[in-house]
Amino acid sequence: MFRHNALRYAVLVALSLAALFQALTAEYFGLEILTEILILAVLVLALDMVAGFGGQVSLCHGALMGVGAYVYALVSAKAGIAPPVAMASAVAVTGVIAWVIGAICSRSHGIYFIMATLAFGQMAYAYVFEAPVFGGDDGLSGISRLDLSLFGIDLDDSRSFALFCLAVAGAVYGASVMTLQSGLGRSLTGVMHNEQRMRALGLTVWRVKADVFGLSGMIAGLAGVLAAQHVMYISPGLLSWTVSGEALVVVILGGLGTLVGPLIGAAAFVLLKHEISAWTDHWHLVVGVVLIAVVMSGANGIFGWAEARWGGWLERRMADATRKHEQEEVVSDA
Amino acid sequence: MLETRNLDKSFGAVHVTRDVSLKLERGERRVILGPNGAGKTTLFNQLVGELTPDSGSVHLAGEDVTALPVARRARRGLSRSYQKNTLFDGLTVEENLSLAAAVHTGNASQLWSDSFTKPEVHEIVAEVAEQVNLMPYIHARVSEISYGVRRQLEVGVALATRPLVLLMDEPTSGVGPEMSKGFHDLLNNLPRDLTLLIIEHDMDLAFDVADTITVLNYGEVVFDGVPEAARNSKLLKEIYLGSWEDA
Ligand SMILES: Nc1ncnc2c1ncn2[C@@H]1O[C@H](COP(=O)(O)OP(=O)(O)OP(=O)(O)O)[C@@H](O)[C@H]1O
Ligand SMILES: [Mg+2]
Repeated sequence: MFRHNALRYAVLVALSLAALFQALTAEYFGLEILTEILILAVLVLALDMVAGFGGQVSLCHGALMGVGAYVYALVSAKAGIAPPVAMASAVAVTGVIAWVIGAICSRSHGIYFIMATLAFGQMAYAYVFEAPVFGGDDGLSGISRLDLSLFGIDLDDSRSFALFCLAVAGAVYGASVMTLQSGLGRSLTGVMHNEQRMRALGLTVWRVKADVFGLSGMIAGLAGVLAAQHVMYISPGLLSWTVSGEALVVVILGGLGTLVGPLIGAAAFVLLKHEISAWTDHWHLVVGVVLIAVVMSGANGIFGWAEARWGGWLERRMADATRKHEQEEVVSDA
Repeated sequence: MLETRNLDKSFGAVHVTRDVSLKLERGERRVILGPNGAGKTTLFNQLVGELTPDSGSVHLAGEDVTALPVARRARRGLSRSYQKNTLFDGLTVEENLSLAAAVHTGNASQLWSDSFTKPEVHEIVAEVAEQVNLMPYIHARVSEISYGVRRQLEVGVALATRPLVLLMDEPTSGVGPEMSKGFHDLLNNLPRDLTLLIIEHDMDLAFDVADTITVLNYGEVVFDGVPEAARNSKLLKEIYLGSWEDA
């Protein structure tokens, strides 16, 4: 069951403030990195929703993000339809595709689920690579960003676009929390803990899995739209399974099933990548070592480790503080 | 209310259910007795749909449900508890009960509202917690409560779907005598129109709570009647003395 606690709120506030500060003060390169982090954050929130709260470890979320990006590019750049409509279609189409994948894969578990989602991802990759309408290896270019000039915002400006991505990531976080704390999300958690029992209680398990996978796909599609708007050019590489693999690494690095953790993971991953690639091409190697260290530590990622150390302590401090506050109020009342 | 006709099931060469025909009236409390490996749990699995019989049929409230999947039978009012605890381990007692109540009240797949905050879910959770004496543990996680309390929760979760027919697979297995006594009280707390099918090892308890008794041996119904008749049955004594003493 997803629960907020003092540490989660604290980290969330800290991350938001750091991102806001960066968005308002950074120069071009810093803004690019921030945007990259925020787009990855949206993708890993989508993945954590199914993997961390449904036990559905998906290896097609990169491909879903790619689908979102391509649908947006096709509808906006090729068909010339207004970006808001293109965005909505991209999110909807990705959601439907994800729902179907979720429904088909709902009966498989563990390694079989991973392989089945990988197969779907590879199919999407191969299709996009080969169908001429997607531009093949060359990809598609000339993608435009959302036009917010009505509100006096020019998204072609890096700073505005970074702030826009921050707003989207915040909204997606809120939507994810709401989903996990809805009847549907509660049932999904029940299914992860004990699928047989949920079925025996009368729940149509495949529907719950497919519905949440569909919602998660919509979020992944939205991440794809942002990615397409960010770079304004897309290629089939976006659908490559390594993107899904990286997203999974980020979720595990940050803390599976915590929502807040993957956000930390996204920031750590992108920063690590840029810092390390400045002095060696083998940044993958270093990220690999960090991941192994985190996994070997036995903690649930960076955030899981922090929560195990300080979560309880912070919670008690907060409880003490409220109690003291209440006592003072009683005294002042008297 | 619940009926089986000529139910038959084999696992390879092992014939575990032999031509079992049972009939439970509404509100009937029937206890299933039988030695280890007699096929009691396997019968339950076929009743709820977790196993498909090789032949024969299952009827719930007058309708043939043999072809219905587990979840749909459950939604028609068939609920069960398991011999081996089948709980939501990381969650609290309240959350365990809420998940079940949410399914029953139709809140389990809603995106726009939180099933756990629904008054109708709260109402069921409070009532069931009262019935199975879980109130003192309501906010404890499954990992924090004792085995005996988990057995109570196992029944509580099954009850929280407000079933018409409740199947209980050895609800008192592995708990001490005072808990078994508590279970007797628990049964007295349940509505009289709830149809109960209980697998029970404890003979005294069985005779105490049963309206009717079915004895299974090697997958076959060897006795079907009222407790008084069972008490005097020679066949039952043989099976009982033969293999239950050491159980
Ligand atoms: N899935 C299965 N595959 C093969 N054999 C099985 C399977 N399930 C049960 N059996 C066998 O069927 C027989 C009946 O098992 P069952 O669990 O129904 O007995 P039981 O009456 O519930 O016994 P107990 O009192 O020990 O719970 C046993 O011999 C068991 O080994
Ligand atoms: Mg059994």
